[in-house]
Amino acid sequence: MERFVLMNAGPTQPRPANQHMRRNPPIAGEQEAIDKAREGDARAFETLYAMHKRRVYSLCLRMLGNVAEAEDLTQEAFLQLYRKIGTFRGDSAFSTWLHRLAVNVVLMHLRRKGLPQVSLEETLEPSQDDGPRKDIGARDLTLSGSIDRVTLERAIENLPPGYRLVFVLHDVEGYEHNEIAEMLDCSIGNSKSQLHKARMKLRDLLHTGQRKEQIA
Amino acid sequence: MTVLRAMEKTMTCAEFQESLPDLFETHADLNAQDHLKTCENCAALVRDLEYIASQAKLLLPMHDPSPAVWDHIQQAIRQPPEAPPSVQPGRK
Repeated sequence: MERFVLMNAGPTQPRPANQHMRRNPPIAGEQEAIDKAREGDARAFETLYAMHKRRVYSLCLRMLGNVAEAEDLTQEAFLQLYRKIGTFRGDSAFSTWLHRLAVNVVLMHLRRKGLPQVSLEETLEPSQDDGPRKDIGARDLTLSGSIDRVTLERAIENLPPGYRLVFVLHDVEGYEHNEIAEMLDCSIGNSKSQLHKARMKLRDLLHTGQRKEQIA
Repeated sequence: MTVLRAMEKTMTCAEFQESLPDLFETHADLNAQDHLKTCENCAALVRDLEYIASQAKLLLPMHDPSPAVWDHIQQAIRQPPEAPPSVQPGRK
């Protein structure tokens, strides 16, 4: 089922290697570990856990902003991996497949936790009130050189979940739009659109933070 | 892209910002866009969005989960088949 509203659909252009570093390169020994884990080899499963725990945990932590919940969901994601690894066919990179599994665990948790009556589509598609506005007026501040890691992490935490997820997957983790579209079961155009809205919203949040600091 | 360039000379800010997602994705040299040569507001917007994207790339790596997570996974996996593995919260 299409979970996003189709906007600006179109093929993605390949990224020049020097502009955007690929962050899910093949990992030495991964394929062997996958093959053995599919046969029930516990050591191989532990190897896969060691290879991917940081990225899965990072995704959970950024989406939830809470260590305990992030660890619980990391645990759940790897238990699902244990149960489902036999269904991995290698059509996509293993890390993409695992991330999609983790993303689904996070989305289900968000729905259970805070948005029980809200559909998945709405979880991923913030309301107009939540979204960024066009920037037609003049600004007196620029962000360049002024944002540290903590400030940016905090601003990301304040993004609506749908924006946050696409921003983290693309800008932080380096996934391509076609991979994100596959993970989230949405169109490539929608992934692009969500990313742009997320960056615009982040800019609003960061400028607001700057102004508050200046007043203080 | 050709159409985009032909349009950009007469673009309003709203139209330019509408085209931004595609411009970012094609990795065009945004500073070469005619609209930005005459519009400081949109130029500042582009600088900010590029800055946000570049800073985001510096956020990895993060921390590892605590060793308790793997302990709980192992415990859940060892449960007998009649009781399917379930999450044991690490910390509540």
